Amino acid sequence: MSSTPRKRLAPEAILAAVVVILLAVLVPLVVYSGAGSSLFPPTAVTTQAKGTRGLYDIVFALAIAIFVAVEGVIIWSVIRYRRRPGDNELPPQTHGNNLIEIVWTLIPTVIVLYLFAISWNTLNTVDAVSSSPDMRVHAVAAQFQWKFEYLDNNGKVIATQTEPDAAKGGGLAVPVGKNVLVTLDSPDVIHAFYVPKFLFKRDVVPGQTNRFQFTVDATEATDGHPNVFGGQCAELCGTGHRTMLFNVIAMSPGDFDTWLQALIAKNNATPPPAPSGAPAFALTAHNVAFDKTSLDVQAGQPFVIDFKNTDAGTPHDVDIRQSDKTTVVQDQPVTEGGAESTYTYNALQPGTYVFICSIHPTLMSGTLTVH
Amino acid sequence: MATHALAPATTAYRPGLYEWLTTTDHKKIGIMYVINSFLFFLIGGFFALGVRAELAQPGLQIFTDEHVYNEFFSIHATVMIFLFIIPILAGLGNYIVPLMIGAPDMAFPRVNALSFWMLPLAGLLLLSGFLTQGGAAASGWTSYPPLSEVGPTKSPGPGEDLWIVAIVLIGTSSILGGINFLVTIFKMRAPGMTLFRMPIMVWTMLVTSVLVVMATPVITSALVMLFIDRNYGGHFFDPFGGGNAVLYQNIFWFYSHPAVYVMVLPAMGIVSEVLPVFSRKPLFGYKAFIFATAGIGALGFSVWAHHMFTTGSVFLPFFSLMTFLIAVPTGVKMFNWVATIFRGKLSFSTPFIFAIGFLTMFLIGGINGAFSAAVPVDFALHDTYFVVAHLHYVLFGGSVFGVFAGLYYWFPKMSGRMLDETLGKVHFVLMFVGFNLTFFPMHMLGLQGMPRRIADYASNAGWNDWNLLASIGGFIIGISILPFIWNVFISLRNGKVAGDDPWEGNTLEWATSSPPPPYNFDRLPEIRSERPVFDARHGRLTPHDEMGPA
Repeated sequence: MSSTPRKRLAPEAILAAVVVILLAVLVPLVVYSGAGSSLFPPTAVTTQAKGTRGLYDIVFALAIAIFVAVEGVIIWSVIRYRRRPGDNELPPQTHGNNLIEIVWTLIPTVIVLYLFAISWNTLNTVDAVSSSPDMRVHAVAAQFQWKFEYLDNNGKVIATQTEPDAAKGGGLAVPVGKNVLVTLDSPDVIHAFYVPKFLFKRDVVPGQTNRFQFTVDATEATDGHPNVFGGQCAELCGTGHRTMLFNVIAMSPGDFDTWLQALIAKNNATPPPAPSGAPAFALTAHNVAFDKTSLDVQAGQPFVIDFKNTDAGTPHDVDIRQSDKTTVVQDQPVTEGGAESTYTYNALQPGTYVFICSIHPTLMSGTLTVH
Repeated sequence: MATHALAPATTAYRPGLYEWLTTTDHKKIGIMYVINSFLFFLIGGFFALGVRAELAQPGLQIFTDEHVYNEFFSIHATVMIFLFIIPILAGLGNYIVPLMIGAPDMAFPRVNALSFWMLPLAGLLLLSGFLTQGGAAASGWTSYPPLSEVGPTKSPGPGEDLWIVAIVLIGTSSILGGINFLVTIFKMRAPGMTLFRMPIMVWTMLVTSVLVVMATPVITSALVMLFIDRNYGGHFFDPFGGGNAVLYQNIFWFYSHPAVYVMVLPAMGIVSEVLPVFSRKPLFGYKAFIFATAGIGALGFSVWAHHMFTTGSVFLPFFSLMTFLIAVPTGVKMFNWVATIFRGKLSFSTPFIFAIGFLTMFLIGGINGAFSAAVPVDFALHDTYFVVAHLHYVLFGGSVFGVFAGLYYWFPKMSGRMLDETLGKVHFVLMFVGFNLTFFPMHMLGLQGMPRRIADYASNAGWNDWNLLASIGGFIIGISILPFIWNVFISLRNGKVAGDDPWEGNTLEWATSSPPPPYNFDRLPEIRSERPVFDARHGRLTPHDEMGPA
């Protein structure tokens, strides 16, 4: 022990110590209490997502530790080492210390190598694709619409879901506990398949078929009680980017079989024939534009539009909306690029409406006058 | 004994505006860089406030045409990166590097003027997109094809072409500036100013210039290819014509990741000058700092694909490892800064407060970046608001706080007047609070699944409160600029006269008058260490003295 008398503790030192201890206690306390729950991802619903969540928790804990340690020293120094007025003496002119430099190079190196090792390990499970999945889905993202095709083991389409919204009776239904292989394609620009509760996204790149696999945890659905997860395009894809929403619906395997059979039946159903004598109009979509800017129809009488979509890879439809272009009057299903549809519309009241492509509303609309 | 500086050049006096328009003086050019960049900071801020105003609540309030919203965030980022942060740091470097190494000017004064004058031209070209059919570029500052290619639902208008031309011009300006810095630093140093006596600010400008000269031609190639695709029927990035969409991303990020260091290294240099002066201590670990800077520069070329982990065509383990590793030299710098203020005698003048703001915020920007180096975690966070939070903690919490530290620090040298301390502190407090209110909640938004670049969100998504908070913070940042502008205005008129060396600085710019004469130095002090002006003030301390009292 040194024989010099003990120095009195400076008041700044006491204040600095109190603040730093408060920081070291309060930050972890707040973060790991209910108040900090928004600093963590939403509940993981797939087995892959649970792996990612475990990794997140480790990265997060290290992040909090480093944050508290370094901010603590900064706050300590700022409070403790204030220059007093009139103090013209220089503090010790410390230029550095090689041993300390080596130590604080090695410590972060060890930490990041550890993080790399565990994240690589997690990646191998999250990104694993088995050659014999329980189920195959082909997801097509086009401006600005999702389409999901259910495939058999040979890659043949057995059912097509063109309505991505669960609220409208659509969505990508999957059985819980089964591993689902998703292949992704885009006919136009880059999109991304993103489900926040999967803690996962994968880009949908034109000209390149991406794939990933997921298994919704078996606890996510019981018989008759499906669970619906929101999903959304995460890569800027144009003016309708934010409208590219979809749902994943987790069902018990029994419910899923019923659901899939219903979808197959719906795919095979022929649309109801147009009432005989209803007037028909031809309408063509080319280069994301209609060939007509106006249509005239009789009030109180159903009518038909024979719609031809010549834009390969780009889906369109022809809905009827009020002249504000947003209030939907009559909704029609999507027609794929290169396909034709016969849309039948119910009788309308006299007035001015618009016919509009719900996928490209800013580029494709025209006036519909009902006399 | 003092070393004599180079003889003053014979300069004919030219009055006022004509002098500024035709000057080749690195100090005047540097000041013009700073003013021009600051004007673009205000323009970029206007676009940011438009975005925050729209996102404050669910529903579309301002942008009934969502395409205009896409133009706003695209031009916001483009202006802030290419017309504010990169050039304002180049401008501060332009002003200060020749002074710091005891040189009378940059090596190529006319090339220097040319580099500057390309910038306002490029900025006007970029913004003129708003006057064209279809508006300004709207495919993000990254401008990924196929969205940035021609097509009715892609980018049909000339706004995208103007964007390409503007970025190529800015890139050319950067390359010329980078070469000029390299030649100046290697060939124009005063006698005694060895490489390992150069201020860290000069070292960071040196490494930055190497990055600029090596990386900028690469992005130029991508932009030229995109221009050919758009205008002459090329298929470089058209997957249905034999091209590859992800190829563009590889080339783009091969430049744009090193560009992050172009935007951060000089700010690190500023902070490395400010902290020692206001702590009255030398920088802790001067050489370690240089090696860390060079290490960041070198590793910076091997991490670009971490922006592309979700594309499905990246060699994930390699880029994950390199991205983790680049945290090491960055961490070493952080520890050295903290050790510099530790046991110092700290004066809380405005430059120092902004430098402390840099330390505390850049730390968060470093830590939240590590999340995305863990590839599976990046699968969850990529393209969400978490990434927006991260990049603003680096580029705003880091670079912008560093820029303001530098502006407050060198304003007395540039103008001969002191800035008002009270207004400076008001500026700092408003900006610091506004910054954290804006960008911290974006971590939560991203974790909860809010993607970037959307004009609207569902009111039941759970994102309302954090978005409102972020928008309030955004407007506080906007307001925080007003005391700064007022401060500059009144200080230029009535500010306290600065004198040569108001802060008791360490480096050579404080050995000449404020503002310096056109040829910079009448005489130079002896250069025996990295702190020649400190040595002249206190005498060269023997190693024993430097240990201080036991």
